[in-house]
Amino acid sequence: MDCDWPLLGPLRWLHYVNKQVKVRTGKGDEHSGWLLSVDPVSASAVLLTFSETAASVRVVMGHAVKEVEVLREADEVTAERLRAALLPPSPPSLDPEELRRRRGGVRRWLQENRVPVEEQGEQLTVAGVLTITAPYTAEDCSSSNQIILDRIQRLIRTQN
Amino acid sequence: MATPVPVLRLPKGPDPNSRGFDPNSPRFIALCRTSISSSAASESDSEQLQKEQHARSVLREGFLRCLLSMTNKKVQFQMYENVKVEATFGASDIDVLNFQVSDLHTPIGVQKEALIRCQDVISFTFDI
Repeated sequence: MDCDWPLLGPLRWLHYVNKQVKVRTGKGDEHSGWLLSVDPVSASAVLLTFSETAASVRVVMGHAVKEVEVLREADEVTAERLRAALLPPSPPSLDPEELRRRRGGVRRWLQENRVPVEEQGEQLTVAGVLTITAPYTAEDCSSSNQIILDRIQRLIRTQN
Repeated sequence: MATPVPVLRLPKGPDPNSRGFDPNSPRFIALCRTSISSSAASESDSEQLQKEQHARSVLREGFLRCLLSMTNKKVQFQMYENVKVEATFGASDIDVLNFQVSDLHTPIGVQKEALIRCQDVISFTFDI
């Protein structure tokens, strides 16, 4: 019995991930599916079920979990599907020439807007605090400074 | 069932002084019944702590991606007392205590914007 499901901890929860489980909430309700993740803050279990055409996700809140039973492990194909389920769709890879052209274009646009930008190999660095990786869209900017991130993202979006 | 119901009273906002996973913040203590802190075993063993923290961040990232994929989608909430409602998911707060939703279909009408308490929710489901 897992009445203390919220107390198991991240290491134990990680053991259940990528397995098909049956989660019992109170009153005899059962939900089964592939466990994608367990939120360490609320102990909520994310279950994925496949139907022929689509997939649906059910999240059972941690405080409502009464018991978790492991049904089976995922095989290679399912494990791959689980890994890819929540990731955003990966962009098509561009050839180096196209990437170089885009990098130069973004760099010139930033320089026209008086932003201090440097090319460092495959990346662009802005003011030493923000990095832009291929393919140099607004979603590829990363920085620990929220304000600069917001500004640069807006700039790149208005370029196109 | 398309008549919007006016909001009678806005809920109290979050405490502006606390941020993040602070288990000592008054909001967390008041609202979170079980605080899930690091296990006792890992406190003494730093390697164990590192493994636990890595597991914690992997799990949290998976959950956050799930929340991200849920935004602006229709979500069905199963709540206590056999209550089932449907709404368009907006956002969650950091402690997963409240969900902000739009177009909440309730038996008394459609709430344009609403906050759902996570303690009242048993599970929720959506299609991806």
